[in-house]
Amino acid sequence: MSTKARKDSIRKRLNIEEKYGWDRMSDSDEERKSHSSRVIIAIVLVIFVFGTYISKLYQLQVSEHEYYLVKAEDNRIKIRPIQAFRGLILDRHGKTLAENYNTFDLIVKKERVNDIDLFYKNIQKLLKLSNEKMEIIKKQFKNRRLKDVVITENISLKEFSQISVDQHIVPELEITPVSKRIYNHPEALAHVVGYIAKLSESDIESGVIDIREGMTEVGKLGVEKFYQNLLVGKPGYERLETNAQGEVVRIIDKSDPERGLDIHLTIDLDLQIYAYEQMKDKAGSVIVMNPNNGDILAMVSAPGYDTNLFTKKLTTKDYKKLISRKDKPLINRSIAGLYPPGSTIKPFVGLIALDENIFTKTTSVFCGGKYKLKNHKRPFKCWKKEGHGDSDLAYSITQSCDVFFYRLAEVTGIDMLSTKLPKYGFGRKTYIDLYSESSGLMPDRDWKRKTKQLPWYPGETLNIGIGQGYMLTTPIQLAVATSILAGKGETFVPHLFLRSHNIITDQINNYNYDQNRISVPMELENLDVVNRAMWRVVNQSGVGTAAHLNKVKNIEIAGKTGTAQVYSLDKGKLGAKELQDHALFISFAPYENPEIVVSVIVENGGGGSSVAAPIARDIINKYFKQASEVAKK
Amino acid sequence: MIRLSNPNDTSRVVSGISNFLKIDTKLFVVVMIIVFVGVITIYSISYGDTSLVMKQIIRVLVGLTAMVFLAQIHPDTFRLFAPGLYYICLLLLILVLLFGVGKSADRWLDLYFIRFQPSELMKIFVPLMLASYYYDKPLPPRFKYLVIASLIILIPMFLIMKQPDLGTALLIGMSGVIAILLGGMSIRFFIGSTVLLTATLPILWYNLHEYQKQRILTFFEPESDPLGTGYHLIQSKIALGSGGLFGKGYMNGTQSKLEFLPENHTDFIFSAFGEEFGFIGILILMFLYLFIVLRGLSISIKATDNFSRILSGTLSLTIFLYVIVNIGMVIGILPVVGAPLPFMSYGGTSMVTVFAALGIIMSVKSHQRILRK
Repeated sequence: MSTKARKDSIRKRLNIEEKYGWDRMSDSDEERKSHSSRVIIAIVLVIFVFGTYISKLYQLQVSEHEYYLVKAEDNRIKIRPIQAFRGLILDRHGKTLAENYNTFDLIVKKERVNDIDLFYKNIQKLLKLSNEKMEIIKKQFKNRRLKDVVITENISLKEFSQISVDQHIVPELEITPVSKRIYNHPEALAHVVGYIAKLSESDIESGVIDIREGMTEVGKLGVEKFYQNLLVGKPGYERLETNAQGEVVRIIDKSDPERGLDIHLTIDLDLQIYAYEQMKDKAGSVIVMNPNNGDILAMVSAPGYDTNLFTKKLTTKDYKKLISRKDKPLINRSIAGLYPPGSTIKPFVGLIALDENIFTKTTSVFCGGKYKLKNHKRPFKCWKKEGHGDSDLAYSITQSCDVFFYRLAEVTGIDMLSTKLPKYGFGRKTYIDLYSESSGLMPDRDWKRKTKQLPWYPGETLNIGIGQGYMLTTPIQLAVATSILAGKGETFVPHLFLRSHNIITDQINNYNYDQNRISVPMELENLDVVNRAMWRVVNQSGVGTAAHLNKVKNIEIAGKTGTAQVYSLDKGKLGAKELQDHALFISFAPYENPEIVVSVIVENGGGGSSVAAPIARDIINKYFKQASEVAKK
Repeated sequence: MIRLSNPNDTSRVVSGISNFLKIDTKLFVVVMIIVFVGVITIYSISYGDTSLVMKQIIRVLVGLTAMVFLAQIHPDTFRLFAPGLYYICLLLLILVLLFGVGKSADRWLDLYFIRFQPSELMKIFVPLMLASYYYDKPLPPRFKYLVIASLIILIPMFLIMKQPDLGTALLIGMSGVIAILLGGMSIRFFIGSTVLLTATLPILWYNLHEYQKQRILTFFEPESDPLGTGYHLIQSKIALGSGGLFGKGYMNGTQSKLEFLPENHTDFIFSAFGEEFGFIGILILMFLYLFIVLRGLSISIKATDNFSRILSGTLSLTIFLYVIVNIGMVIGILPVVGAPLPFMSYGGTSMVTVFAALGIIMSVKSHQRILRK
């Protein structure tokens, strides 16, 4: 064949020779040169393209190596978390407030199932699952992201023992104890203990939580959030190598979880529940605090809500219901509720006037039922139309005379009040160990100019004197301020933390009292005038605004009533209940050597003496009854 | 018995054998290194399973046989048979359109005893046909020649695009353009025809299938579709980039072995290699390819007749084209079109095709002296 082709070739060449002449046949220099130059251009292009490629590859493999290395690791390594046992939350006597209960989940690690159809058949045989359930299981198997398939959740101990007997039928099946959080008195302690729920983006952004690998649930509110980092322990994890199908190729390494710390609170559970019951069907707050160490024995924000809803799967419908409720149960009123202090401010402004030598204890003001301010058309009214006559400070606190305090505030002036009242904690956070505390509002000239673009009017100073107007306090502020009176200028930062307890190492860390002292310098003589007046509020029958209270045996209470007017822009639209005044009462007992401070606020409750004071009295009663029972034992 | 007593003897024996077989020793050795690299990469990806490796070795042997066979044939013979082969292949392409079999695209022709892709043959036959058409045309070529040459290219391109196999069609078109340029077309003509081609681009676009359009679109912004078409490119870049300077080490590639890298032993074998052998390995590989192309072009320059020159030059640049199209695809310079990497990718037809091209280049080289005489 090749010889024939060659002959053909020669024949064709001869034809060409005849057609074009001998020149065309020769390998002409012209053609050769033309071709060579074209090939040389091609070579240049080839080298140029290779150079470009190599530089691009250099960029990929050398310059951006780190970036792609991380991407490659992200591709193949997946984390399977192992939950750590979350520390318990207990009250001061060791009663459990938040604990974990074990349920059993039947799970299957995907990599252990070899024959999926056989597996389906076997679990059907063992567990007698409905078709619907089987569909859910099959769906999980198809989901690439899941490493574990949950067959059934929350099985009881009885079912558990039954299944363990027959487990050999389905050796792939694993019975894993799952720790779930439960709150024993969810409503009464909702705002103190808080709850845990699934870790969300906002938790990561908040920056207060140590986010650790394998963490799935975190404290969202209350102590659960504030002491999250102590309670959580250390979650364990398995690092898995997976392929593109999400199948586990091997376990790279494993880290065992560590149990979290138990937290003992200062809360006295019985007192807390009692206080919560007193606030049934009411909105407001009760705080019971020990002025001698800052321990919060009870802290109620009413209404409460069922925090266990959040640890289970809270439906959006239920959640919407909760947040749209008019009485706003989700707000922790004790630390974030803002109320005008009303007459409960009077002991404090009185004390300031005495300490600053503006008034003496004998300075007397005539009360004729109203007080006339210069250049002010309308007179400022006292709650008692017919007036109190000549009144000194002690009498005016006992009787809660408004005219006396109008005069006192006018003479003292807003500048003095707005600099001295914060010493008792007004307008400042108390730094209790809870997040989202409000600092209240202590208005002054600067504040008015900045927020309202208006100067401070003298009439507004008068309102401060009786705890009305712009001034706003939180219940915890009132409790701390009262503690300062009860502790004779010395008290402690309010706190819920009593001690933490590491069960594994038995190491106990107690609350550091020494670093949390509050000290307010004052003349004890002056304080005695005010405290005595507060004693008279409760004990001087016929005079004290709360003297009608049935006495607690052997315990003398000192206190101050308050009735804060509710200002509302749309007064006309609201119903009668919303228009009622807030009832307030601050108190401490016993009068000599106080052990507890109780502050009560009932929203729209009416008068402080008729609504708030009896609640405080009952709580004090309950406290001392408990104490004497303990003493008897 | 031949006694190999000193290196001189050895080299003499080697050159004797290669002269006898009419193959170019340097080209052969470099290609075999690349083939070896390809085989060990396939071995690594398949976790040491030798079944793919064995299949690949058989293909290499078939390719080598084709190469040695073609190296024996005189270039004049190629020239004489070129039109016939071209027309037969056109006929086969039409048959494929009528009776083709295949998974998603009808590219295969089932001849009962063998299944093959006629479009793959066209990768050789189009340059061959053009070289045989152009070799005796006077310089500078007339416009008429260009029109006929364009038809030689466009008719098979059209048939292949209908299969539909856009990638192969474009590659054949480009190798055709290379042949025309080497055949002596003036730059003026080239620019003119480029403009003409650009003008036909919109028409081409409307004839594309949706998945082909999608591929081109995601090429410009691959990260926009990380789970779809862009996934290939992203994973390929991760494989290469995570390899770094020295690579993860042989058998240690995670992207390829855990199957994050798609088509890891066919179209994306370059990335799988780069992950394990790093930039250093890649650099060496690139220089091996560069050597093949430059060796082919130098054979083209030294060739003693016009047909041989055009043919060997075009085929060398066609190999170059396939290399850069594949590598360009896996590093994100060119769209993901689905083209194998010559001498490395797992796959039968393309392996035989590139070896055939190599055989023709070797034929040009080994027959030049005879012609000189």
